Amino acid sequence: MAVEVMTVEVAEATASGFAAIGAGLAVGLTGMGTGLAQFSIGGAAVGATAENKDMFGLALLFTVIPETIVIFGLVVALLLLF
Amino acid sequence: MISVSTSGPAHYIYASTRMRVRKSKLLPREDYMRLLNMSLPEITRFIEEMEYKAEIDDLASSFSGIDLIEIALSWNLANEYQRVLKILPGVMKTFARSYLSHWDIFNVLTILRGKSQGVKTGKIKEILIPAGTLNVATLDRLLAEDSPERIVENLSSWILYPVLEREFAAAQESGSYAEMENELYKAFYRYVLKKTTEGIKGGKPFREYLELEIDLTNIKTVIRLYKGGVREDVRTLMIPGGSFSVDELARLAGSESIEEIMEGIRKYYPSGPVADLLEERSGGGFALHEMENALTQVMLVQMDRISKRYPFSICSTMVYLKRKRYEVANLRAIARGKESGLSGEQIQGYLVM
Repeated sequence: MAVEVMTVEVAEATASGFAAIGAGLAVGLTGMGTGLAQFSIGGAAVGATAENKDMFGLALLFTVIPETIVIFGLVVALLLLF
Repeated sequence: MISVSTSGPAHYIYASTRMRVRKSKLLPREDYMRLLNMSLPEITRFIEEMEYKAEIDDLASSFSGIDLIEIALSWNLANEYQRVLKILPGVMKTFARSYLSHWDIFNVLTILRGKSQGVKTGKIKEILIPAGTLNVATLDRLLAEDSPERIVENLSSWILYPVLEREFAAAQESGSYAEMENELYKAFYRYVLKKTTEGIKGGKPFREYLELEIDLTNIKTVIRLYKGGVREDVRTLMIPGGSFSVDELARLAGSESIEEIMEGIRKYYPSGPVADLLEERSGGGFALHEMENALTQVMLVQMDRISKRYPFSICSTMVYLKRKRYEVANLRAIARGKESGLSGEQIQGYLVM
């Protein structure tokens, strides 16, 4: 059986491939986490705003707080890719 | 075909939040204290500045004084319940409607009693509270009928119709709807208890609450019977489905002393708010309405407790519906008490806060 030799080019291509997968997972999984957190906050925010229009600003603020999770994921993805 | 999903947690979160906001707008204890020191016109002005404005404005041209307050409160309760039903999605709406069907019993019996005693249609309509599953149009149709038989026939699609149909002939024969009313309430509790097992979120804790409500209603009946000196067989007056068996309740109602009744209740409630309440009233020297209000207060506190423990379930909605009902009852008691010249302290004894 022939022995396969990994060249530098192949190693670099594999590393960048894994980095791309890691970046994808970082954004994808944190996106799902954000979604899970936001659906309950969003539901409550829409409910509170429907009852009291003055709640809109505060409700929006609470709804976007979980966005930080996906931003962390995005930062990790960018660090992995560049 | 595109359809909107009305199951899943998001709907419970949305509806429960709306109910919690509405509950926070209900009158706090301090406002009741202020109302107790006001005159009738001041009370009217006070409630006009609250959620009751639309109803007061609508009715001000037709009614005045205590009638205006009473009818505006009833209309507001009915409108508010209908608004809540519009907000609730899917299975929550079905469940809330089933619980509100006790208003149907009240309305149907009011119409039957009014018609059989020859009361004018307009006068009966003033008393109705269309907060249940029978809407205003249906109630108007019932009011347009003259004979009780035709009224019952018109209710063939009502969920409690089988019980109504079964009991109606005997009620007509005896000339009293009391027995039929008891049977309808028993059927109502059976129906709601069954509904708690049909996949509603928070159904199990609400079922436990309902069992407490049945127990406390039965305890109130037992104490009323004892205080009223009724010593005959009272099995038919008791609602099955709670912790006490009907036989046990009948035995309690026939007790020789209030202490014996308290002891019988303590067997099922050895600790907790009911036991504490019995301890406070152990001497037997209490006014009946105070005891009843204290038991109602226990029910409301328990409802609050389960709605906090299960915040995104049907419990938040039910606690709001219940609290709203007692807010209206309290405002009516204050207005009626003021009209009758009772002192603030006397009226306070009738309030559930």
